[in-house]
Amino acid sequence: MIKLENVWYMYPNGITALRDVTLEFSSSIMVIVGPNGSGKTTLLKVMALLYRPMKGKVMVDGVNYWSLNEKDKLVIRRNVVYVHEKPILLRRTVLENVAYGLLIRGTPKQLALKKALEILEEFDMKHIAHRRVRELSAGEAHIACIARALLLKPKYLLLDEPTANLDLQRRQSLLKIIEDYVRNGIHVAIATNDHSLVNIAKQVVIVDRGRVLTKANN
Amino acid sequence: MIDHEVIEITLRSITVSGSATLLALTWCIPIAYILAGSTSRISKAIISILNALVGLPTVTVGLLLYMIFSRSGPLGFLNMLYTPMIISVGQAILITPLLISLLYEIYTSGKSRYWELALTLGATRVQASTLVIVESLPQTITAILIGFGRAIGELGVALMVGGNIRGYTRVLTTSIALEVEKGEFEKALILGAILLAVVLMIVISVRIIRAKVEGP
Repeated sequence: MIKLENVWYMYPNGITALRDVTLEFSSSIMVIVGPNGSGKTTLLKVMALLYRPMKGKVMVDGVNYWSLNEKDKLVIRRNVVYVHEKPILLRRTVLENVAYGLLIRGTPKQLALKKALEILEEFDMKHIAHRRVRELSAGEAHIACIARALLLKPKYLLLDEPTANLDLQRRQSLLKIIEDYVRNGIHVAIATNDHSLVNIAKQVVIVDRGRVLTKANN
Repeated sequence: MIDHEVIEITLRSITVSGSATLLALTWCIPIAYILAGSTSRISKAIISILNALVGLPTVTVGLLLYMIFSRSGPLGFLNMLYTPMIISVGQAILITPLLISLLYEIYTSGKSRYWELALTLGATRVQASTLVIVESLPQTITAILIGFGRAIGELGVALMVGGNIRGYTRVLTTSIALEVEKGEFEKALILGAILLAVVLMIVISVRIIRAKVEGP
């Protein structure tokens, strides 16, 4: 479980993005909705252990993450993977991009590339494995990022607007794959403006102006 | 009329300014990287000062170095005045604000993208830093090129601390100045054309290297 206790977050420019947020993420699929600029992405990044709150605690499986040393932080952080709203890919082929997470975690290159190819096949994207990322459509780039994250089999997967760049077919295919992974024990949090995703949620969180307004279980 | 001496001067210019650029990079890359990762007011103030110093007059750097390295100066015992090495040092100092300002922008942008990505995929801090630097390489190459261009085209430092000694510290810019003083405009123009050709050749080479780094 990722638990936020009375979390406040302020950007360096002085804008307070989260105000006294208390939240438990323990369900299989949590969907965070709210208007643009409400703090959804910030909330997700705090949960992803990328942003350190100025006040409050972020507990991951009962451990106060920000009180740990670097070595222990790394162990915890490797259970939580965040996928950005705008796809971030490296100047390499799609296959190398998807394998990158495994490579930095010490998986031998051949094995990492083999697993990356397998997950691309799962997404029906094997044919673009050796393409340079600049040749990808926005939707393909987004799927490649999600595939890279899923390949790591994190305990907690946090997706920021995962369906934003996808056509209907890709969207349905992605949601099916996510549900398959959820059945295998991954917890997924999704920040989105796509309210139809609420249908697949087990937990719904509504955010507005940095505050969590509603926490409901489906 | 490109004689042996002109070739020698050209090669010396490239060597001296190339060394200056490499020397400046040894401190500019880490400083820019640290500043890019900091949100403190001190860092912002340092960057503002460096931005203001980008247009630092070359004669000012030359004068300061002359005072420091002249026989009666604090570092006079090093006997570095009127050597190619002091020209490199001076040019490295001259291009430092420019390089740090450019690299700061590059690493700030790189960090906002690749630092978070690396961390969330489970990288250590060292791996994340490496990723930021590697992914910023094409832009870094352009910054290095701009720094080199500023170094090879400057006159004040080379003249004041190099002394324009024939066969030893004479570089393209000091040669041009000398030929103009002598009224040898034709030779000065040829040297100017060579300087331009050298810069152009390096720009083209770096563009090719950058294209290779970026991939097909």
